[in-house]
Amino acid sequence: MAKPLNRTADKGAANRGALVSDFFKLLVPVLPILVLLFVFLIWPIINVAIMSFEDNYGNFTLDNFVVASQGVYAQAFGNSISLGLYSALLGSIPGAVFAYVIESRGSEFLKRIINSATSVLANSGGVPLAFMFIAAFGAEGSATVLLKALGIDIYAGGFTLFSYWGLVLVYCFFQIPIMVLVFSPAVQALRKEWNEAARSLGASKWQYWRHVGIPLLFPSFSASFLLLFASAFSAYATARAMTVGTIALVPLMIGTLVDGNVIVDQFNLGKALAIGMVLVTALAMVPYLLIQRRVARWQK
Amino acid sequence: MKRLGFKLPSPGLFIAVLLAGVFVLLPLGSAAEYSFRTPALGPGTYGWDNYAWFVAQPDFGNFIMLSLSLAAVAAAITLLVLVPTVVWLNLRGQKLRPLMEFLTLLPLVIPVVALAIGAQTSLPVELQSNQYSLSFFYFVLALPYTYRTLDIGIRAIPLKTLSEAARSLGANQFKVIALVLAPVVRGAVIAAVFLTIALSLGEFTLTSLLHWQTFTTWVTVISQSNILGAIALSVFTIVAAFALLLVVGLVSVRSKRRQVSEEE
Repeated sequence: MAKPLNRTADKGAANRGALVSDFFKLLVPVLPILVLLFVFLIWPIINVAIMSFEDNYGNFTLDNFVVASQGVYAQAFGNSISLGLYSALLGSIPGAVFAYVIESRGSEFLKRIINSATSVLANSGGVPLAFMFIAAFGAEGSATVLLKALGIDIYAGGFTLFSYWGLVLVYCFFQIPIMVLVFSPAVQALRKEWNEAARSLGASKWQYWRHVGIPLLFPSFSASFLLLFASAFSAYATARAMTVGTIALVPLMIGTLVDGNVIVDQFNLGKALAIGMVLVTALAMVPYLLIQRRVARWQK
Repeated sequence: MKRLGFKLPSPGLFIAVLLAGVFVLLPLGSAAEYSFRTPALGPGTYGWDNYAWFVAQPDFGNFIMLSLSLAAVAAAITLLVLVPTVVWLNLRGQKLRPLMEFLTLLPLVIPVVALAIGAQTSLPVELQSNQYSLSFFYFVLALPYTYRTLDIGIRAIPLKTLSEAARSLGANQFKVIALVLAPVVRGAVIAAVFLTIALSLGEFTLTSLLHWQTFTTWVTVISQSNILGAIALSVFTIVAAFALLLVVGLVSVRSKRRQVSEEE
């Protein structure tokens, strides 16, 4: 009687062994990418995290974080977070509508062109983008002059391109294309049959959107929104080109600390600010991961 | 499902394309208008002077070649490392998917400025002193977008069925990959390569914080000496990157169309 029991127990152990070795067999083909991610992303950031807890002599301290959460630095975090939220809001809605129209009605040829354009525009930034907007919407810009001739004076309300809202406007130029890039796959997954099914059951166009379309797209929309937030929150090149230290933003502060242009009492202050940024984006990504899990259920 | 013939665009599509055109062309067109001004020849005159100025800069060609080769290496890493990984995940590595999804999201969670500090303090000197290490960083920074593009594109294709069918017809492993799998995943692969190239050509933050000079950082430096020239250069960078990707894109549409007609 004991024998068969034993045999099943052996089998269990053997299965477990096979499972472990199977897991390693699974892992081998992905090893190259794991190594690259470790060397060029994870190892550097682990070092930043460790050093953010060190004082100038390598002893443990929390002082870097205390300074990073006060005064001008706290203000910079506030500015960066609100810049991220506003530009994500202004980028996500037009981007989503555009992605929907192109995916549902555009030809294959048009989609290719849009794909090339959004890939380039989503990665535009820095000095080229700043110069384009100065040429267009600066006080002497062509678009400003053109709009004035049409009776619209964008400078009437004390607007300048180098202010907070000017920066939000410029950010939209890469935020909307990013939205189109990341939101299009969700629209592709929205099946025509669902619309037809709802319509044949007597739903109006509005009812279809209210009860089927929007609920299905909402998870992807909010996930894309969070990606846009992260992108604007951590944007550096454009902010550096557009503002000359006039607006306190965390990435710019870290940049000047890294460049060594500013000497502070604490060498590792920049690292604490960097870890602070990682925490903010990580918090924004928690809902993203939860949402993605739900989306994966129906996007197959 | 696919519309192959040309149809008159619907009003919604027409309005969307029109608005997108205004959105892109208002800044780009304004900058272009500025870039053709030639104040030396008098007000209201236009010419190619500002373009001639930056083309004549001694470093112009060198930095273009450097940025293109850095982008090419990053694209090669995408092809050689990422594409096989995603194909493998879809064939047999289903269990590893959640792990990879989390890992490929990390470059978005970790701001580039934070990564730059880490790279400065922790990478071995041999890696830091080789400019091609930038290509590896570009590859990593593009991952959140390239991984998802590839995964969505490849997930839609029944890779397992296709490779089993090919094998039962006598194809060996190499033939399965080269003649069956590679052609069907081409669309997604091209989109991922696009994203890698576009990111590599435009990357500024990490490049400048690690004190490297590429075309992007050179533009920043040279633009301080001639404002109209700098605007011309800005227009050039965006239009040239778009043209580069458009050519690759149109070539791939043509080959896709050929494939479709062969299937019929």
